Amino acid sequence: MLSLLIWGPLFGTALIALLPAAVMTPARARQIALVVAAGVLLWTGYLVMQFDPNLPGLQFRESLSWVDSLGLTYQLGVDGLSLPLIVINSLLVLMALVATDLNLTRPRLYYSLVLILEAGVAGAFVAQNLLLFFLFYEVELIPLYLMIAIWGGAKRGYAATKFLIYTAISGVLMLAAFFGLSFLSGSHSFDYDGLQAQALPMATQLVLLITLVVAFGIKIPLVPFHTWLPDAHVEAPTPASVLLAGVLLKLGTYGLLKFGFGLFPEAWQLIAPGLAVVAVINVLYGSFVAIAQTDMKKIVAYSSVGHMGYVILASAAATPLALMGAIAQMISHGLISALLFLLVGVVYSKTGTRDVTVLRGLLAPECGMPLIGSLMIVGVMASAGIPGMVGFIAEFIVYRASFPVFPIQTILSMLGTGLTAVYFLNLVNRVFFGRMTESLAQLPRIAWRDRIPSIVMVVLVIFLGLQPDWLVHWSKSTTLALSEVNRTATALMLPDSEP
Amino acid sequence: MDFATLAAQLNAGTILPEGIVITTLLVVLVGDLIVGRSSNRWTPYVAIAGLLGAIVALYYQWDLSDPISFLGSFNSDALSIVFRGIIALSAAVTVLMSIRYVEQSGTSLAEFIVILMTATVGGMFLAGADELVTIYVALETLSISSYLLTGYMKRDPRSNEAALKYLLIGAASSAIFLYGVSLLYGLSGGETRLSVITTNIAANNVDQSIGVVIALVFVIAGIAFKIAAVPFHQWTPDVYEGSPTPVVAFLSVGSKAAGFVLAVRLLVSAFPLVSEQWHFVLTALALLSMILGNVVALAQTSMKRLLAYSSIGQAGFVMIGLIIGTEAGYASMIFYLLVYLFMNLGGFACVILFSLRTGTDEISEYSGLYQKDPLLTLALSICLLSLGGIPPLAGFFGKLYLFWAGWQAGAYWLVLVGLMTSVVSIYYYIRVVKMMVVKEADEMSESVKNYPASDWNLEGMRPLQVSLIVTLVATSLAGILSNPLFALANGSVEKTPLLQSSLNTAQTALVDQSVATSSTPAPL
Amino acid sequence: MQLLMQLQYFLLLAAALFCIGIYGLVTSRNAIRVLMSIELLLNAVNLNLMAFSNFLDPAEVRGQVFTVFVITIAAAEAAVGLAIVLSIYRNRDTVDMEQFNLLKW
Repeated sequence: MLSLLIWGPLFGTALIALLPAAVMTPARARQIALVVAAGVLLWTGYLVMQFDPNLPGLQFRESLSWVDSLGLTYQLGVDGLSLPLIVINSLLVLMALVATDLNLTRPRLYYSLVLILEAGVAGAFVAQNLLLFFLFYEVELIPLYLMIAIWGGAKRGYAATKFLIYTAISGVLMLAAFFGLSFLSGSHSFDYDGLQAQALPMATQLVLLITLVVAFGIKIPLVPFHTWLPDAHVEAPTPASVLLAGVLLKLGTYGLLKFGFGLFPEAWQLIAPGLAVVAVINVLYGSFVAIAQTDMKKIVAYSSVGHMGYVILASAAATPLALMGAIAQMISHGLISALLFLLVGVVYSKTGTRDVTVLRGLLAPECGMPLIGSLMIVGVMASAGIPGMVGFIAEFIVYRASFPVFPIQTILSMLGTGLTAVYFLNLVNRVFFGRMTESLAQLPRIAWRDRIPSIVMVVLVIFLGLQPDWLVHWSKSTTLALSEVNRTATALMLPDSEP
Repeated sequence: MDFATLAAQLNAGTILPEGIVITTLLVVLVGDLIVGRSSNRWTPYVAIAGLLGAIVALYYQWDLSDPISFLGSFNSDALSIVFRGIIALSAAVTVLMSIRYVEQSGTSLAEFIVILMTATVGGMFLAGADELVTIYVALETLSISSYLLTGYMKRDPRSNEAALKYLLIGAASSAIFLYGVSLLYGLSGGETRLSVITTNIAANNVDQSIGVVIALVFVIAGIAFKIAAVPFHQWTPDVYEGSPTPVVAFLSVGSKAAGFVLAVRLLVSAFPLVSEQWHFVLTALALLSMILGNVVALAQTSMKRLLAYSSIGQAGFVMIGLIIGTEAGYASMIFYLLVYLFMNLGGFACVILFSLRTGTDEISEYSGLYQKDPLLTLALSICLLSLGGIPPLAGFFGKLYLFWAGWQAGAYWLVLVGLMTSVVSIYYYIRVVKMMVVKEADEMSESVKNYPASDWNLEGMRPLQVSLIVTLVATSLAGILSNPLFALANGSVEKTPLLQSSLNTAQTALVDQSVATSSTPAPL
Repeated sequence: MQLLMQLQYFLLLAAALFCIGIYGLVTSRNAIRVLMSIELLLNAVNLNLMAFSNFLDPAEVRGQVFTVFVITIAAAEAAVGLAIVLSIYRNRDTVDMEQFNLLKW
C-alpha cells in the first residue's frame, strides 16, 4: 500500500520523461503530473482513513528482503509521526504543481523532477530501514539541485551548489552515524526495529547522536549550519521553495525525532538542554534577521529558520505533549510557510520585485491584488500565532509542553512569536497597505491557477485551527509510546527525580 | 606422449577462454590479411562473439574441481574467473565503442581489434597467473599492447606523445617490478610459484628481513603503476588525454582490473609475512589516491582528464576493499569493479559519441547539450552521478558496500576519508551535469550550436548506440537489482582457496592494528 | 661461505647497474637514452636472476629460464618503443623529452 506512494510518482516520471516528444507536449506533461499527484493525494487520503490512530506502532507494514549483503531491506511502515508528514507531502506537491507557471521552460524535465522529489520524500518518511532512509534522503538531492539551478533566480548556480554541498555533507555524516550505530550495536541489518543502541556505552551513544544532530541539523537547519537555506529559498522557483520549506526541512526534524530521539533516548536526555538552547538561538536569530530583511522571500525564509526552532524546542522537551506539539508545529509550519511562499511567488511574478521598500498598496481593490493580499494577511496572522488558526494551536502546545521542562528557554522562544508579528506586520503594512505606487498600477490579471493553492491552504490553516483534534489525534498514541521509552530511560538515569 | 595426454596432464582445459580469444584474434588477423579493408564489416562482430564466447566458457569453469594448471603456473580459481570475465567484457564493450571511432580516424580497424584482443589475453592470463614468469609475461603482453593502442593514431602528435610517455614510464615501472620479483626469487631460494614462495621464505628464516621489504616496495611500485594509485599516477592524465578514447575506456577498466587482481594474488599469497607493511603502504596509497584524485579532478577542463583523475580516486576507493582483506572486503572490491565496469564504460561511450559529433573533449563545450541531444545527456548524467555515488544508481550500492565492509573491519579513517572525498567527487561530476542540463539556449557552446543531427545509421554508429544503451541500463539497474552481482562477488570470494586461507591471518592482523590504533592516535 | 660471498658480489653489481639505470632514467632528455636506461634496469634484473639461479637453484635453473623471457620481452618492448619514437620523430622532428609538452605533465 505504501509502495504506491513511491512507485506511483516514479511511474509518472517514467511516463513523462520517456514518451516521445510528439506525444508528450508540455500541456500533456502537466496533465499527467497533476493526475499522478492528485492520485497520490487521494491514495494518501485513503490511507489516512484506514489508519488506526489508537495503535502506537507501525501500520501498513511492507517487508521485502533486498540486498542481504548490505543489510538493506525494503521495510515500509507509517506511524503517527510520519503519517501527517506524508499527507503534507502529497498535498504540497499537488499544490506546487498547480501553482507552476504554464510557460515554464523544459516542462518535461521539470515535471519529472517534481515527481521524483515526491517519491523520494515519501520514501524517506515511510522507510523503516536506516539505509533505505538514507537512500531516499539522497534521492531528493539531485532533483532539487536541478530545480534550483535551472529555474532559479539570478544567483541560482551559487545557491544550488551550496545546497548540494551542504546536503551531501549532511548525508555523509548521517551514513557514518548509521554505520557506527549498526556496527557497534552488533546488528547485521539496518532495520529500524532490530537496532539496540541503549546497550552501547554512553560516550559512544553521545558521539553517534551528536553526529546525527549535526547531519539533520544541516537539513532543518540549525543555526550555525543554516546559511544554505536563505540562498536556496531566494533563488529557487516558487514551487521548489514551497516544497523545500513545506516538506524537505521536515526530513531533518523527522529524522531527528525518529533516529535521534527514537534510537538514543538516554543520550537524548543529556543533550536535550543544549538542544533547547540551540532551539532558542534558532528562534531568536531567525526572527531578528528576518526583521532586517527587505526581500520578502528572505523574510519568509528566515522566519522558517525561527519556526523550525519551536520544533527543536519541543523535541528537546520530549514529553508526550511536547512531541505532539513538535508534530503539530511541523504540520503548521509546512502549511503556513508553503502558503507564504506561494503568495510571495504570485506577488513576484506579477510585479517583478520582492523588495518591501518598493512595493506599496497591493491591496488596492481595483488595480491591485485584493484576494492575494487578504490571503497573505491570513497567512501572516497564522504564522504570528493568532488564535483560531493552526499556528496558534501548534505553538500553544509547544509552549505548554516545554515550559515545565525548559522554562527560560520557552519564555525566550515566546519572544520569537512576538517578533514574528513584528516583521510580518511590517511586511504586510508596507507591501499591501498604503497608496499604490504608479509604476505598479497596471498589474496583470491573476489566474485562478495562482489563487487556488493559496485558498486551499488558507482553508486548511483555519480549519485545523478551529478543529485542532484533526491535527493531533493521529499522533497521540505514537508520541505516547515514543516518550514512554524516554521516560524509562530517564528513570534509569535519574532514579530519584520524577520525570 | 600424444597431445591429448599432454593437455590432460597440464590441465589445459582451464585456459579454454583464453584459447577462444586467441583463436578469434587469429581469425580476425588472417581474415583481414586475406580479404582486405572490406573485412571491417564483420571483424568487430567476430571479435565480440569471441569475447562473449570466452565469457560463456568462463561461466562453465565456475565449479572446476581442479583449477591449478600448467604445473602451477596458472590458477583458474573463482577469483580469476570473475576478473577474466570483467576484462573480457570490458574488451567486448570497447570493441563496440571503437568501430566508428577508428573508422572515422582513417586507421585500420582490424589491426586495432587484434592489438586490443592481445591486451585482453594478457590481462586474462594475468588474472590467473600464479607463477612469477607467467605473471611477467602476461603483464608485459598487456602493457606492450596498451602502448601500441595508446599510440594508435599515428598521425596525431598527442597520441604519439601519450604513447611515448606511457611506454617510458610503464617500461621503467615494470623493470622496477621485475627487480622486486628477482629479489623474491632469490629470497625464496629459487622458487617462482607464488604458493611456495612464502613457505620457502619462512623456511629460510629470512622473514621480516630487509630483503623482503625491499622486494615488497618494488613490487608495489609496479602494481600501483598499473592501477594508477597516487603517487604512481602521473602518467594517467596525460595518457588518458592523448590516447584514442576507446583505448582509455579499456585502460581505465580492463587494465585496471588486471592490476587489481595482480595485487590481490601477489600480495596475499607472496607477502603474508610482511602483511603489516604492505597494509600500511597500501593504506597510504589509498588515502593519497582518494584525496589527490578527487581534489585535482575539481580543476580539470578536459573531460578525459577529469575522468582520468576520477579513475585515480575510484582506484583509491577500490583499494579499501583490498586493504581490509575481509571476506566482505574482497567481495565489495569485486562488486565495485563490476559496477565500475558499466558506469565508467558508459561514461566513455558518451564521451566518444560527443567527440565524434563535435571533435572536442572540453567540458565547457558540453554546455547546453540537453537541448540538442537529451539521450546523450541522460546517459552521461546517469553514468557520472553513478560514479559519484548518487542513489539509486549502481555506484551508490558499490560505494555503500565498500564503506560498510571497511567500517566493519575497523578501517574508520579510510572510510571517513572515502566518504568525505566522495562528497568532493559529487561536486565535480555534477559540474558536468550542470554544464549539460542547466545552461540555457543562449549559453550554448559553439560545438553544441553546430551539433549534427542524430546519425545512428552511419557505419559503426549502431554498435556505439548499443554499447551506450547497455551500459546505461546496467548502470541504472545494477544497483536496484544487485543481488545476482552480490552473489557473484561473494561466491567468488568463498570459492577461492587463496582468499579463504588468507582471511584468518588477515583478521588477526586487523585486530592487532585496531588495538594499535586505539592506543595511539595514528590512523590505521 | 666462499660461494655466498660471491653471490653478494653479483647482487651488488646488479644493484649498482640498477641505480645507474635509474639515474639515467631521471636525467636523460633524449628518448633513446631513456630507453637505454630501461635496458640497463632490465639487465640488472637479469644479472640478479642469473646469480640467484646459479647459486640457489642450480637444479631447475628457473632463473635462467626467466632471464630468457625477460630478454625476449625486453626486445619486444624496445621494438615498440623505437617504433613509437620513430613515429613521434616523423611528426615532431625531435626526440627531446622536454619538447613533448602537448599534454600537461
